[in-house]
Amino acid sequence: MRTAIGSAQERRTPETARPDGDALPLGLRTVVVLGLASVAGLLAFGWPLVLSPGSGLEHSTDAPLVLAGLLVAVLGVVFVSLSDGGIDVKAVAVLGLLSAVGAVLRPLSAGTAGVELIFVVIVLGGRVFGPGFGFALGSTTVFASALLTGGVGPWMPFQMLAASWVGLGAGLLPRRVRGRREVALLVGYGAVAALAFGMAMNLSFWPFQLGTGTSLSFVPGAALGTNLHRFVLYSAATSLGWDLGRAITTGVGLALVGGPVLAALRRTSARAAFGAGARRAPR
Amino acid sequence: MIHFDHVTVTYPDAVRAALTDVTFRVPEGELCLVIGPTGAGKSTLLKAACGLVPHFTGGLLEGRVVVEGRDTRDHPPRDLADVVGVVVQDPASGFVTDTVEEELAYAMEQLGIAPSVMRTRVEEVLDLLGLATLRGRPLADLSGGEQQRVAIGSVLTSQPRILVLDEPTSALDPAAAEDVLAALTRLVHDLGMTVLLAEHRLERVVQYADRVISIASDGTTVDGAPAAVLADSVVAPPIVELARLAAWHPVPLSVRDARRRAAPLRELLVGSKANRHPSAAGDQVARKSPVRAAAPPITVLAARGVHVRYGRTHAVRGIDLTLSSGQVVALMGRNGSGKSSLLWALQGSGPRAAGQVLIIGPPGAAAKADPASMRPRDARLRVALVPQNPQDLLYLDTVTAECAAADAQIGAEPGTTRALLDRLTTGVPDPAHPRDLSEGQRLALVLAIQLAARPRVLLLDEPTRGLDYAAKRHLAAALARHAAAGAAVLLSSHDVEFVAESAGRVLVIADGELVADGGVRDILAASPTFAPQVAKILHPVDLLTVDDVRRALAATR
Amino acid sequence: MTMHPLAWWVWALGLAVAATRTTNPAVIALILASVVLVVLARREDASWARAFRGFLVLGGCIVAIRMLFYVVVGIKTAGAVLVDVPRVALPSWAVGVELFGPITLTGLLVALYGGLRLATLVVCFGAANALANPKRALRSLPPSLHQIGTAIVIAVSVPPQLVTAAAGVRRAQRLRGHEPRGVRGLLSTAVPVLTDALSRSLALASSMDSRGYARPLTGRTDRRVSTLVVIALAAASMGTYGLLDGTSPRWLGVPVLVIGGAAAATASILAGRQVRRTRYRPDRWGSPELLVAGCGVVAAVLLVAATATDPAALDPSLSPLSWPQVPPVALLCAVVAAIPAARAFRRPAERVAT
Repeated sequence: MRTAIGSAQERRTPETARPDGDALPLGLRTVVVLGLASVAGLLAFGWPLVLSPGSGLEHSTDAPLVLAGLLVAVLGVVFVSLSDGGIDVKAVAVLGLLSAVGAVLRPLSAGTAGVELIFVVIVLGGRVFGPGFGFALGSTTVFASALLTGGVGPWMPFQMLAASWVGLGAGLLPRRVRGRREVALLVGYGAVAALAFGMAMNLSFWPFQLGTGTSLSFVPGAALGTNLHRFVLYSAATSLGWDLGRAITTGVGLALVGGPVLAALRRTSARAAFGAGARRAPR
Repeated sequence: MIHFDHVTVTYPDAVRAALTDVTFRVPEGELCLVIGPTGAGKSTLLKAACGLVPHFTGGLLEGRVVVEGRDTRDHPPRDLADVVGVVVQDPASGFVTDTVEEELAYAMEQLGIAPSVMRTRVEEVLDLLGLATLRGRPLADLSGGEQQRVAIGSVLTSQPRILVLDEPTSALDPAAAEDVLAALTRLVHDLGMTVLLAEHRLERVVQYADRVISIASDGTTVDGAPAAVLADSVVAPPIVELARLAAWHPVPLSVRDARRRAAPLRELLVGSKANRHPSAAGDQVARKSPVRAAAPPITVLAARGVHVRYGRTHAVRGIDLTLSSGQVVALMGRNGSGKSSLLWALQGSGPRAAGQVLIIGPPGAAAKADPASMRPRDARLRVALVPQNPQDLLYLDTVTAECAAADAQIGAEPGTTRALLDRLTTGVPDPAHPRDLSEGQRLALVLAIQLAARPRVLLLDEPTRGLDYAAKRHLAAALARHAAAGAAVLLSSHDVEFVAESAGRVLVIADGELVADGGVRDILAASPTFAPQVAKILHPVDLLTVDDVRRALAATR
Repeated sequence: MTMHPLAWWVWALGLAVAATRTTNPAVIALILASVVLVVLARREDASWARAFRGFLVLGGCIVAIRMLFYVVVGIKTAGAVLVDVPRVALPSWAVGVELFGPITLTGLLVALYGGLRLATLVVCFGAANALANPKRALRSLPPSLHQIGTAIVIAVSVPPQLVTAAAGVRRAQRLRGHEPRGVRGLLSTAVPVLTDALSRSLALASSMDSRGYARPLTGRTDRRVSTLVVIALAAASMGTYGLLDGTSPRWLGVPVLVIGGAAAATASILAGRQVRRTRYRPDRWGSPELLVAGCGVVAAVLLVAATATDPAALDPSLSPLSWPQVPPVALLCAVVAAIPAARAFRRPAERVAT
């Protein structure tokens, strides 16, 4: 008998060096599905640059509803496909909890100019639990926070898809990098992704916000260069400061909490043994 | 119903097997109790019985586990949901929905049971467990005992034949624990369910058990009739210890059986010296301290009219209290009676609506001070609290880092905390993550961190949760040592056996008011709910613990 | 039981569609008034209901920004000049942009009308947010999204516990003399809260697993679902392109999207069949729900029909300037939209409660 307040418990210590588990593995089918969904998504985001005269959406009043509805359907189909056959219940629970963390951080940080910590969670989650999980995490986080704050609007499907891309990309970063270089990699990626997120959101809502009557407005069917130029000027005049703030806070946030949070997530990943199921001895 | 056949379980990356060659069979309608020291593999055995090991946790399971004819090799936990109901240690962590009714229906929804059947089953279970008045309540608002009963109800609705419970009473006060156990025995006796139950507080459950499986630290098991297994088990409740002392065979398991055997012992003790001088509180302290307090007791904490309010609820209503050096004092009362609020208010970091708390400093230092007006890091040098969830204090990723941070925070010599930790417990590995420690080790680590500051007053909130008997004995010894060094210790606890063993004075609070304050014998022996087993067996002889009896017997010889 | 949340969503989306049919400020103001009236009459005292104010503020901002942009960088067309602000030329990198210039009433009104319409669209969404209970809305997700839905239900239920846990950790760390401040303070709170949340998620998963969660799912994917999903997504990409590119053949737009939608719906139904689960006390869809949803649909249909028959009434001319008229159909539309505000159309239980 051991003489101690607590008897020693030999516990496995998760090795930090082993590759991360995939909470939501990507098969060939999922890759195809995500690829096609991303094409539809890119069109929906970049519609001001694609739109040509004679299109049914030219007058831009229907576009927010039509494109938002389209993206809701696309995301729905992607998730039907991701969960076809069943997701590991542990992945579902971890997904829920991480989305909750993101959803709590969002209203906490949204009020203060450009501070947006939601990407810290999405990037770290995607990094540790893999690209498929990152994709799901982006959408569920944005959706949950919209439900919690009563922020469901035509912009939500766009935000969901953009945040999903951020998570997906984080999961696709080189896996072998570890230690400080890993945090540096994530900081760089997070800052760029957060900036791109802001620009993409801005692009998709540019025509609605401005109408067609100003010299920064988009011109349906004009040359790509003209519209891009106008868009850059519009961005600089409106949200660029905000987007830069978001990129900086995401980067700083990742630099500060990246190491310890990665360690905590990896411990969970190891304990959860996603999809490992049972190794069985022969009967 | 449950059949383990040469089962060995090894977790991934584990140093050794968690269970080694376990074979047993639990027939239908039995209440089977799983006992063993902390970390011996009780939870692993329960999880293996419901398929969570290895399907959920990963790892290697050798041998065969068959549950009502279903081999867990081919049936993951979700396929056993209609056969085995599982209730986890902390019921709140397993709640999936928000309200009582929805929680009860959840498992049935997953099994695809028809809505009309669901309605009737929910009503039946509400009645069976006495939950009808709680049906629409949010789960978060329930007390611990209610949550535990809802957790049991939520698995009963899918009508399993087997119930698996991990420490169902560990967080409950004696009355709530009785409620839960009464519900369980009713299920076994009226419905013929098979129950597999792990528990540390054997004094509460052993009398209901039909079979006991005892797991040793190396993962091997012994099973059999309770009296036979407990007679020479490492973990044993006071009633069994007393039986061993008095050489009763077979070992009695209920107070009633023991009382019938105890008449000669009582007669012997009535004549003993120890009982002829009913002890005063001060004497009690001396009984507990391995080292007699060198200095005469002085008041170290004086509180007047402490009042704590959260919104419109009054948690503590004007409590006056003094603590003297050398005392170990226990604070008892129902769940929700205001014990935690009082401790936090005394420490100074919790809210205090009215009243005054003064810590009387050591001679030479600033004489009196209110901890609430001090900076936290100064306050803890005078009054320290170990909260109910000790792990909240820990935030670094190794034991070494935590110890070093603790030394730095009080400007102590490096190694101070680690040395204290080694006196409290052995075998805490330096590089371990604090979250991977057993409950006892984690408590020891937090206690060491707080003791390193040498506080004049040490407060502990429910320190015995999840501790086995050996761990509790070590904790009691550590508290006695700290008291003997001139400090006061105040601990809140539901664990009457631990209080009887460790405290010299008991405060009872109900509804935020102090209803009793006195020596441990006066308070505990007299109360029907708070009386420890030995007191119940030996009544009217005024002894509380097996050690007391041993001492008294020595005095008669 | 209160109103089914989806009924409110159908109603609000119907009004959103109606609002995008017109630039007539009088019509838009009528729709806006109906929306606000219903929200004030029917919202409950709940956290999501408080978001409505935010949507009103957002709507105001949209109008203000639209007008501000017109004043600063708007292309100044001919018309009655209100204020003549001198033009400011910008350096060459901003080709084609001129700051300020004469502000005309017509230009200002175009900006105002456009802004109002977008603001009303946003306020319609705000109304749905304020009236529909989000947690109950989640119960209406199709069975094929059961698992992602579960994750979102968890995500929506857990935040209050996280906030409590964070407060608990900060309080506990003061016991240690550690005053959480700055970066280390953030870490010393965030890490334990996150670690607890993660271990909690595993406990929750184990509880769900042993209670039969996702029991009928085989772990194998359905080939028919995969095929349909790929068809649906390919159709979505092509259809969107067709919709945006006016030069592409007509069939590439809406028809392809419809095919994609059908494929998606079939995939969802097939995948949903794998999930065999039932509902305890399911949300009922009764006549009050039908009425509320119907009001939204009728309002939308009325204005869509009106744009087809009499477009001029819904797009008042700005050159020459004229007072916007309220066509009778728009009045009818606003009245229909406001019907759900009436007490008589509440569910019986709701009436008792209030």
